[in-house]
Amino acid sequence: MAGDQLVNLVLVLLVSVSTLVLVSIGLAVVFGMMGVINLAHGEFLMLGAFGTILGYRAGLSLWIAMVMAAIGVGVLGLVVEALLIRHLYGRLEATMLATWGLSIILVQATVLIFGASTQGVPTPLGTWRFGQYSTSEYNLVLIAMAVVTLIGVYLVFTRTRYGTIARAVTQNPEMAAALGVNSARVNRVSFAFGSALAGLGGALLAPLVGVVPNMGQAYVARAFMTVVVGGTDVVLGTAMAAGLLGAVDSLVSNLFEPFIGSVALLLTAIVIVRVLPTGLTGRLRGRS
Amino acid sequence: MSKAVLVAGVVLCILGALAVPDASAQSLSLYVIYGILALSLVMVWGWGGIFSFGQTAFFGLGAYAYGVVGINVGNSEWAGPLALLGAIGCGAVAACALGYFMFYGNVSGVYVAIITLASTLVLLTVTSSMADPSYRLGDAIIGGYNGMLGIPGMSLPGIGYLDARQYFLFCVGVALSVALAFRWIRLSTFGRIVFAVTDNETRAQLLGFDVRAYKLVTFVMGGAVAGLAGALFASWALFISPVVFGLSQAALLVIWVLVGGRDSILGAFLGVYVVQRISDYLGEGGGSYTPIVLGSLLIAVVLVVPGGIVPTAMKLAASRTPKNWRRFVSQTNRIRRDAATDVAVGLHLGPSSNEDHALRTAGLEKSFGGVKALRDVSVQCPEQGVLCLIGANGAGKSTFFNVLAGRLAATKGSVFLGGEDITRLRPDQRAKRGLGIKLQVPCVFPTLSVWDNIWLAAYSGLRQSDAATDQTAAVLQRLSFDDSLDISTPASDLPHGAVQWLEIAMVFAAGPAVILLDEPTAGMSHDDTYRTADLILELGQHSSVVVVEHDMDFVRTLDSPVVMFHEGAVFRRGTLAELQADEVVLDVYMGRGATA
Repeated sequence: MAGDQLVNLVLVLLVSVSTLVLVSIGLAVVFGMMGVINLAHGEFLMLGAFGTILGYRAGLSLWIAMVMAAIGVGVLGLVVEALLIRHLYGRLEATMLATWGLSIILVQATVLIFGASTQGVPTPLGTWRFGQYSTSEYNLVLIAMAVVTLIGVYLVFTRTRYGTIARAVTQNPEMAAALGVNSARVNRVSFAFGSALAGLGGALLAPLVGVVPNMGQAYVARAFMTVVVGGTDVVLGTAMAAGLLGAVDSLVSNLFEPFIGSVALLLTAIVIVRVLPTGLTGRLRGRS
Repeated sequence: MSKAVLVAGVVLCILGALAVPDASAQSLSLYVIYGILALSLVMVWGWGGIFSFGQTAFFGLGAYAYGVVGINVGNSEWAGPLALLGAIGCGAVAACALGYFMFYGNVSGVYVAIITLASTLVLLTVTSSMADPSYRLGDAIIGGYNGMLGIPGMSLPGIGYLDARQYFLFCVGVALSVALAFRWIRLSTFGRIVFAVTDNETRAQLLGFDVRAYKLVTFVMGGAVAGLAGALFASWALFISPVVFGLSQAALLVIWVLVGGRDSILGAFLGVYVVQRISDYLGEGGGSYTPIVLGSLLIAVVLVVPGGIVPTAMKLAASRTPKNWRRFVSQTNRIRRDAATDVAVGLHLGPSSNEDHALRTAGLEKSFGGVKALRDVSVQCPEQGVLCLIGANGAGKSTFFNVLAGRLAATKGSVFLGGEDITRLRPDQRAKRGLGIKLQVPCVFPTLSVWDNIWLAAYSGLRQSDAATDQTAAVLQRLSFDDSLDISTPASDLPHGAVQWLEIAMVFAAGPAVILLDEPTAGMSHDDTYRTADLILELGQHSSVVVVEHDMDFVRTLDSPVVMFHEGAVFRRGTLAELQADEVVLDVYMGRGATA
C-alpha cells in the first residue's frame, strides 16, 4: 500500500470516528450524568446545523455562527429541562416518550419554518492534496474539534466545581443531597451542557452534510449505539466506542457500500452489548 | 368478563363488519391492520414489560417479505396465503435473533428501547440504499427509497383475489382470531408467568422461571404478529417503502398504544381508531400540523394520563369499570378454591422425589474487590430439619445466602445440591432443582393478587396448573389466613406483616427441598414469631430449612443446630446452649463488647 493511500485511509477513518464523537458526546453527557435518554437528541443536532446556517446567512462568520448555534441549543435545553425532563425524573420510559414527542414536534416545526428542502453552507477552508489524494481541510478541523471537545468535557468534569458535584450526584444522589447539593440544579446544568454539545456537533457537521429537518434520524441511531457501547464513563466511553464503531463503519463502508457499514456498526454494537451489557466502560465504575 | 359477554362481543364485531358499507371497507381495513400491529406492542410492552420500539421493524420486514414471496409465487391464488406465512415467519425469526442477543445478554429496559430503535433505523438506511435494480430477491426488486412496486393483493384459494369488501372481512377475521388468541394467552399459565416476570423479575427467577426464555418467547410472538400486520398492510397498499422503518411510523405505533392503554386488547383498536380519526381530520387541511398535534398528544399522555386516554376516560365515565384480568383470574380461582376445600385437599410439602437433596458447600469464598466477605465456608445442611445461622451484622450470612441462591457468583469453592455441583448455575436453574429462598427484604409480585402470588409459587414447584390451584387452596387453609383478607388484594396493598406471611405462604406452596429463610420474623409481633417458628419446624419435617436470625429467643425455640459466622468464616458449630456457654462467642457476638 502506497503512503498516500494509507494516509487517505487513516483520514477517512478518523473523520468517521470524529463524526461519531461529535454526534454522541452530548447524548453521553446527558445519559451518563442524569441517566436520561433524550430521544430528541437528533433534532438538537439538526437545530445546531440550522442555527449555523441562519447565523451564516445573517452575515456572521461561520465559526461565530457555530458557537452561537451551540449556545442557542443549550438554552433550548434549559427550556426543555424545565418543561419536560424535570417532571419525569426517575421515569426513564416516560422521559424517552416525552422527548420523542418533542422530536416529532421539532422536525415538523422546522419543516414549517424552513421548508423540507436541503439547505447548506459552503465548506470553508481549502483543499489539502497529498499524492494522488485530496481532502478538505475542514475534515482536519473536524478531527481536531472532536479531540478538543473530548478534552474539554474531561476538563469540565474533573477541574470545575460543577463537574465534581455532577459526578458526585451521579454516583450517590442521596449522599450528595445530604451534603447540601441541589441535585435539581446540577441536572439542569447537565442537560443544558449536553444540549449545547449536541448543538455544537450539529453545527460542525453543517458544512459537510445536506441540512434537512429530518437529518437527526440519520445520526441518532449511531449516537445511541455509541453511548450504549461506551457505557457510563462519558469521555473514555465515548472515545473508545466511537473509535471502535467508527473504525468498523468506515472500513466496511470502504470495502463494500456505506449502508453495509451501518449494518456492521449495528451488529458490532449488539454483539458488544451481549457480551458486556454495561458497555466498554461499565465495569470501570461499577455503576449499573 | 363472562363467556357470554365475550361471545356477544365477537358476534357484534362480525355483524358490524358485515354492515359496513362498501365505500368505507377500504379505509376501515387499514384501521384493523394497524390495530393488529398495536396489539403486538400491547403484548410485548404492556404485558411483557419489554420497551420495544422495534415493532415497526418487524412490521416492515413482514411487509417486504409479503412482497418478495407474493411477487415470486406470481399469479396464483396461493400467493396470498404463502406470502402471509412468509411474513409471519420473517417477523418471528427477526425478533428471535434480536431478542436472543438482548435477553440472553441481560440487556435491560432502556437499552432494549435503544437497540430496537437503532435496529429499525438501520433497516431504514439499508432499504433506502437498495435503489439499484440489482438489489432483488428473485423477481422482486427492493426498489430503495422508491419502495417495492407490484405487490399482489390478498388472494385465497377457491376465491381468488379479494375485493375491498371481502378483504375487509378477511382483516376483521384475522384481527378477531389474533385478539382471541391473545386473550387466551393472557389467561393461560404462560401468560400469568409473563405478567409475574414483568412484575418482579427477581422473584420470578428465584421461583425457578427462566426469565430470559419467557421474555424471548413473548418478543417472538410479538414479532410474528407485527409481521402478520405488515403482510396485511402490503396486501392493502400493494406497495411498501422504507418509510415504515422511519421514526414517525415507530412513534405513531407508540401513540396508538399509549392512547388506548398499554395492556388492553380492546384498547389497541380503540387507540388506533381515535388517533387515526384525529390524523385524518387534521389531514384534510393539508396535514402539516398533524405531526405537531401527534407529538403534543404523546407528551400530554405521558405527563397527564400515563394510564392511557381510553382506559382513563372509561374509568371516569363509569365507576363500574370492567375489572382487569388479574381480578378476574382471582375470582375464578376463588370459586375453584371453594370447590377444592370441600374435598379437603392434602398439602404437598417438601420434594416430591426421594433423591438426595442435601445442600453442601465446600471451601466457599467470595470477595468484593479487596474485601473477603466469605472465607473458606464449608457447611453441610441436614437433608431434613432446621439449621440456624447466626452472627453479627456483616458476618457474611446474607452474602452466603446470595451465593447459595446464585444471585452472587462464588469467587472460589463449590456449592452442591444433592450430588450435583450447582456452583455455576443460574438462580432459576437452582430453584428448579429444589432450592427456595426468602430474601431479607420483601420480594413478592406487587401488582398480582395474594392468590396469584401463592399460585405462582405453587406452580413453580408442581409445574401443573390444576395441582397448583389445589396446593394454593391447601396453603391458604393451612396457614389460616385472616378471613378478612381478600385474596384478590394486590400484594402491594398489603400491610407489612401480611407481606411476611405471604412470603412464607409462597415458600410453603412451592415446597422446595431446601429452604433458605433470611430473617423470617423481622418486624413480626411476639405471637406471630412463635407461629412462624411452628411453621418452620413443620417445614423442617419434610425439607432442609436454613434460617438466618438475630432473635436468640426465636433460635432457642427452633432448638436446632447452630452455625455461627464471624468475619466471613464459620466460627463455631453446635447447639445454642453450647455457643452461649462459650466465652469467646460471648465476647465476639453475644453482647460482651467486641474483641478484635
